[in-house]
Amino acid sequence: MSCDLYKSEMYAWRPGDNLPDSKPLLDHLATCPECAQWFANFSASDERIRQAFSEVPGNPSLEANIFANLAYERLQKMPRKTTWRNWFLLPIAASLLLGITLGLGPWLQEARLSRQVATLLSQPPSAEINSTDQKQILDWSAGVLSGNAELPPELSRIEFRAGSSLMVASHKAVLLKMKNEQRASLLIIDARLTAGSTIKSFHETAGSDSRWSDGRRTYVLLFHGSEQDMHAYMTRMGLVT
Amino acid sequence: MQITDQMFNDWVRQHQKLLFGIAYWWTGSRTDAEELTQEAFLQAYRSRSSLRDLELVKGWLVGILRHCHSQMRRRTKSREEISLDEMHYEPEGRPTLSANAIALHQSLEKLEERHRLPVVLFYFQDLSYREIAEALELPIGTVMSRLARARQQLHELMKTPTKLVLMKKAESL
Repeated sequence: MSCDLYKSEMYAWRPGDNLPDSKPLLDHLATCPECAQWFANFSASDERIRQAFSEVPGNPSLEANIFANLAYERLQKMPRKTTWRNWFLLPIAASLLLGITLGLGPWLQEARLSRQVATLLSQPPSAEINSTDQKQILDWSAGVLSGNAELPPELSRIEFRAGSSLMVASHKAVLLKMKNEQRASLLIIDARLTAGSTIKSFHETAGSDSRWSDGRRTYVLLFHGSEQDMHAYMTRMGLVT
Repeated sequence: MQITDQMFNDWVRQHQKLLFGIAYWWTGSRTDAEELTQEAFLQAYRSRSSLRDLELVKGWLVGILRHCHSQMRRRTKSREEISLDEMHYEPEGRPTLSANAIALHQSLEKLEERHRLPVVLFYFQDLSYREIAEALELPIGTVMSRLARARQQLHELMKTPTKLVLMKKAESL
């Protein structure tokens, strides 16, 4: 290869290159003083060019300007996103609000209560206290519930024989078994879980319940039997809710 | 790939000087370089989801800068009119350019764009052939041949000082 060809190859060479492709060039430089001198001049000139490239004027405001542009861009995108989401979420939010206001909350509570009543009818908890002493049973209930366990007037004729403590919908509760009726028990929950007086039947357990609230507590009469039988029992006991 | 605003801000801090420097030597104008750099970061932010590998962020940004540069070139075809006056008559308080830097500006102006773009990437940031090829979306062989030609021309142009360069050299003596 001629010296001119090697010189043209030098333009493709970069400092630090020691590739197998560069070997013939490096070998030639080692044996040709003229090319070696030319290469030395070329390298010096190359270094001068590289130095000149490093002379870039400072621009202290550039970074701030870029960030300002980006901030504006992000701001432009945010409302579009929010608007779209707002439009999408608005009917859902409104429905939720309306649903809660109109009774979705109480309805959910009622449904939860019904599930637990059905469970209690099929699997009643074992008694923690057995006593026919009405005062003792009510004192024990007062200990489980918050405050006293004085019964409302509509339950004044009812007497109990046993009691169990439990939690209903995360609220303290007691289940009291009736003294004069094996099929009946009274669930007292330390919260208002029902809006009004309701009667429900549970076909799967062949049971019924009647539930009401005095505003502070919820009372549920659980009855192993049909609604008619429960009504008959309630009439007999003067239990009008 | 999720690119957070925080990640992108870090890239701005990390690479803004590189992009500005490249743009400066491509355009020969500080004002254009600033505009190009800002535009490149804005476009990069908008298309950040197109970045497939975080390791390639530098080449990706340079590629976007090249795209913005092409757009700018199409908008303004008056490169010859802007550079020299602006360079030489720096506003007060800014360091003036050396004779070598002026000679480089003048030499780069004379290079064709297909030679100027790779040669700036080669010298300014010492990018590898592969990185240059990726940034300019060219085959590596094309980059190597264009670079060899560009360097040869640049060396020859730098050897012949212009009147302005001679004046500058005389000033510094």
